[in-house]
Amino acid sequence: MTSVALITGAAQGLGRVTALRLAADGFTVAVNDVTDDGRLTELAERTGGLAVPADIADPLTGPAMVAAVTDRLGPVQVLVANAAAMAMSPFLEAKPDEWWRQIDVNLSGHFRIIQAVIPGMRALGHGRIVVISSGWGVIGHPNATAYAASKAGLIALTKGLGRELGPQGILTNAIAPSFIDTEQLRVDADDAGLTLDEMRRVYSDLIPVRRLASPEDIAAAVAFLAGPGSSAIVGQVLQPNGGVTRTRA
Amino acid sequence: MTSVGTGDRVALVSGAASGIGRACAEAMGRSGWRTAGIDLNASDTDLSLQADVSDRAAVAAAVDRVAERFGRIDLLVTAAGYYEEGIDVADITVARWDRMLAVILGGTVNCCAAVLPHMLSRGEGAIVAISSELALAGSATDLHYVAAKGAVLGLIKSLAMEVAPTAIRVNAVAPGPTDTPLLAADSLWREPDYLATLPLGRLVRPEEIASAVYYLATEGSMYCGEVLSPNAGAVI
Repeated sequence: MTSVALITGAAQGLGRVTALRLAADGFTVAVNDVTDDGRLTELAERTGGLAVPADIADPLTGPAMVAAVTDRLGPVQVLVANAAAMAMSPFLEAKPDEWWRQIDVNLSGHFRIIQAVIPGMRALGHGRIVVISSGWGVIGHPNATAYAASKAGLIALTKGLGRELGPQGILTNAIAPSFIDTEQLRVDADDAGLTLDEMRRVYSDLIPVRRLASPEDIAAAVAFLAGPGSSAIVGQVLQPNGGVTRTRA
Repeated sequence: MTSVGTGDRVALVSGAASGIGRACAEAMGRSGWRTAGIDLNASDTDLSLQADVSDRAAVAAAVDRVAERFGRIDLLVTAAGYYEEGIDVADITVARWDRMLAVILGGTVNCCAAVLPHMLSRGEGAIVAISSELALAGSATDLHYVAAKGAVLGLIKSLAMEVAPTAIRVNAVAPGPTDTPLLAADSLWREPDYLATLPLGRLVRPEEIASAVYYLATEGSMYCGEVLSPNAGAVI
């Protein structure tokens, strides 16, 4: 029986590339996103995995999705907590619904998904939880208070779980990327009133290594934290962000 | 950095004769890299060079030999060092302080200074300095060691920024207490009471440090001044 990896937010961008990488590394992947417009099914077919659309912000459908994965594939050995809602607005202009939606998906949603995968990991006697945080959750960013708060909350969650679950052989770590060249860049570009290429240039100038991370760069970090080489790493935050933060997270 | 075959890649490891350095050299060698070691003692590498890393000229001469032999240096791992514990700050003599700084900080500087021109001429490479988890959170009875390991982090972050526009990546690995000859049999870090405080409840194995170094060397092109800490949960 192969090991099962569940990736949230896998319809596009980093989640999709991560699913492809983990599948290539030998995992059976379960791919989740809020809905399946065909992309999840295509990804599942391509990887020989399972499409499990569900809104993880919903307190019932998220855990039910994990139960369905466990039923079909077996216990989840690796969880990649990647799904994220993001909306940019000045703090005082942020609509409460929009502000809280980001917390509900990014932080509370994954809190419940993690709760749901732990029994299976305990039964296996080991497991890996890889949380996708953000450089903005480490150093903050204007007009992104909800997103930054949710991602900083995920870092604290990672550290707490690292301590709490580490003795049981379940290793929780986080990755805090900064600028990744994915579809999400469009949100930032719209917020800044720039074209996509202009946004890439603006960001490249902010990155010491002068290039945005590719989704493959971040997926490689996930693969490392999901694989045998990271067995002494727990409660840590990896920052493959080209030197943007350069601080301990 | 991973797209190219590893068969012609060269890793130079200081402190390659034992402990973490030895594990790093072995890991790179197993992955098909050619390996060179600089150590006071002979190392089981493709090119074993015996030199004191605190001796700048000796390090430069050794690195020249590596470049002559292999024509390139893709990875530098600075693992050379030694450890002294159970020493009150008042008992850290000037000689003790100077020697620790000379080997750990000076050794890292000397290796970087000698290797960097070779990497700059090819426009790429990776440097991974072995620091310590103690440099992140402090420690009570080994202040000179911790100060030296902390200084390495400042060095590495600044060097990372200096070469960031190139494809040379400079990062650090800060191991937790690791099961190597550096930890004496009666080391405080081996005591069951201490190990019980760690989320993983055990010492780190040298191979677990080597695997972090391998990851940074092969898939770490977006890390710049990062401190990766495989520490069994000693510092979270």
